[in-house]
Amino acid sequence: MNVTTLKTKAENQLREQFDDAATTLPGSGWVKTLRANAFAAFAADGLPHRRVEEWKYTDLRERLRDVPAPVAASSKAVTAADLDRALGSLAALDAERIVLVDGVYRADLSKITAETTVIELMSLAAMLAKAPGWLEAKFANDSGVVVALNRAFMTDGVMLKVRKDQAAAKPVLLVHARAGAEASAIAVRNVISVEAGAKLTLIEAHIALDGAATGNLTNAVTDVAIADGASCVHIKSFVDRAGSTHLSTWTTRIGKDASYRGFQLTASPALARNDINITFAGTGGKLDLSGVFLARGSEHIDTTLVVDHAVPECESRELFKGVLDGRAHGVFQGKIIVRPDAQKTDGKQMSQALMLSPDAQFSSKPELEIYADDVVCGHGATCTEIDGDLMFYCRSRGIPPDVARAMLTESFVGEAVDKIEDEAVRAAISTLAIDWLRAG
Amino acid sequence: MLEIKNLHARIADDENGTEILKGINLIVPTGEIHAIMGPNGSGKSTLAYVLAGRDDYEVTSGDILWNGESILEMSPDERAAKGVFLAFQYPMEIPGVATMTFLRAALNSVRKKRGQKEMTTPEFLKFVRAKAAELGVSDDMLKRPLNVGFSGGEKKRMEILQMAVLEPTLCVLDETDSGLDIDAIRIVSEGATKLRSPDRAMLVITHYQRLLNYIVPDKVHVLAKGVIQKTGGKELAMELEKSGYAEFTGKAA
Repeated sequence: MNVTTLKTKAENQLREQFDDAATTLPGSGWVKTLRANAFAAFAADGLPHRRVEEWKYTDLRERLRDVPAPVAASSKAVTAADLDRALGSLAALDAERIVLVDGVYRADLSKITAETTVIELMSLAAMLAKAPGWLEAKFANDSGVVVALNRAFMTDGVMLKVRKDQAAAKPVLLVHARAGAEASAIAVRNVISVEAGAKLTLIEAHIALDGAATGNLTNAVTDVAIADGASCVHIKSFVDRAGSTHLSTWTTRIGKDASYRGFQLTASPALARNDINITFAGTGGKLDLSGVFLARGSEHIDTTLVVDHAVPECESRELFKGVLDGRAHGVFQGKIIVRPDAQKTDGKQMSQALMLSPDAQFSSKPELEIYADDVVCGHGATCTEIDGDLMFYCRSRGIPPDVARAMLTESFVGEAVDKIEDEAVRAAISTLAIDWLRAG
Repeated sequence: MLEIKNLHARIADDENGTEILKGINLIVPTGEIHAIMGPNGSGKSTLAYVLAGRDDYEVTSGDILWNGESILEMSPDERAAKGVFLAFQYPMEIPGVATMTFLRAALNSVRKKRGQKEMTTPEFLKFVRAKAAELGVSDDMLKRPLNVGFSGGEKKRMEILQMAVLEPTLCVLDETDSGLDIDAIRIVSEGATKLRSPDRAMLVITHYQRLLNYIVPDKVHVLAKGVIQKTGGKELAMELEKSGYAEFTGKAA
């Protein structure tokens, strides 16, 4: 059904998988067309490779040699205790809980205590099955090959809304759990809406349950629309040790006088690509984006963000810190666009990598595209080893070198984790990061 | 007892091999406080760093014995466990590590190496808070990242607090008075003087005599051009205050 240029084994697997799944993927009417068009869009370009500018440092065509089959309907019994064990420090958070197991919403494991006048929750699969006309608009602004693949293969996800002028009292913990014993691919789509004047803290936790397969592929897209005067804290935690490929896309639109604080912890995937696309859609918007990426061995973590100051008087801050050991490769690409009429823009970006090994690699590409003349914008990137003076200071206090190194590494990462304002959430994320560092 | 024997040292990666310390001989018996005074560039700070084991410096000959044992081959943390402590002229800032956390890691490390039990959390808190109160170090400072945003005086008080907590037997104070006003010097000096004890030796390195009004030394050594030029009692410090170091810097070493 596709006239394509698909060449690689992985690309052909994707086509076979799409043809096979066409009848079973949720959705009717326009949804089927949406999927077919999405796959055709993917097929036109194939997997992105190093000659595509945005993928220069992460050659997906080269690295994604084999695509595991889409997840089969999971019969595996999962309990709240299984989830808690895998969630680690996040389990104890006093939070609303929404659970997806292998890409499928599980009402039996989810619990929202807030009134439906505050939070509205729907499963995407259920909505795709009904295919109401208004839903189609949610996909209208999609761009990029990874998101096209997501749209073609999406099985489920959540549609979460915080209603106008309502505040979700507790954070919402959205758990993406992998349980299947066979390696599989999932595509999940979340559509988050924070209505005017509303408040939401959303924590996305990607976890693997005991006995879950290694070598999974996840394509997770989360769209966030923050209406005027609303605020949203959005945190992602992905601590893998299972050779996963993790393709994550956040696309966020920030309304007038709205605020968005994003944070991503990414640790030890085989390959992770975190795309973050932010658009300021109204004046007075505020963005604070930060993250920690931790990699060792031959792991590869890419964070690519685009912040589009499309309107005047908005403020953006980005701080990303990575710890790279072994032959790991960290990538940070940060583009700030300031449109011609986006005067009084205030944008600052910083990426820093701490190299624990001479064979680790950090590629940093900050880009400022400024078309307005009355703006304050800056960016910086550093790549350092552990400070010898600080090491000596610690050791002169009797602290042995391994403990001193760990302490200084934790201090380096801590500066980014400290951007999380909620104390309990910050402590939980900090614990996950420190556990990773100490497991070296 | 600290014995420094014909100590020569240079910067480790200096290809010209210029020696900074050119044969220092010095004995500080336990229970005594000795001062080392000297002009800028005389090698005072180098001596402090070499005692603490900083690997930016290479000892080319001579030896340092602490209680009869050579410490030259020991790493800085091993020396700390043996009781050596250096109060830095410029204490380091460590963002993201709470002062309390740092103190605890340091204390537990040396206690472990000294064969003592780790302190429980309540024991530790009580122990540190008592010492902190004596030095006017607030609970708020203990919670903050180590030395980050601290004033010059606060940083030096923090050095003395670390010294009090780790209970070293050889205390080396490197220009502890630099950058401090009179009130801060008094607080820091009182803290240091409290640690005077029959089983502890102290080496106070300073450019100016004024610190020695508060930490009264048993002996004063003049270091210039990498060697000890003169040794005397505390009155030597007063003489230097009047006459300056010209007598020593003009003289061939």
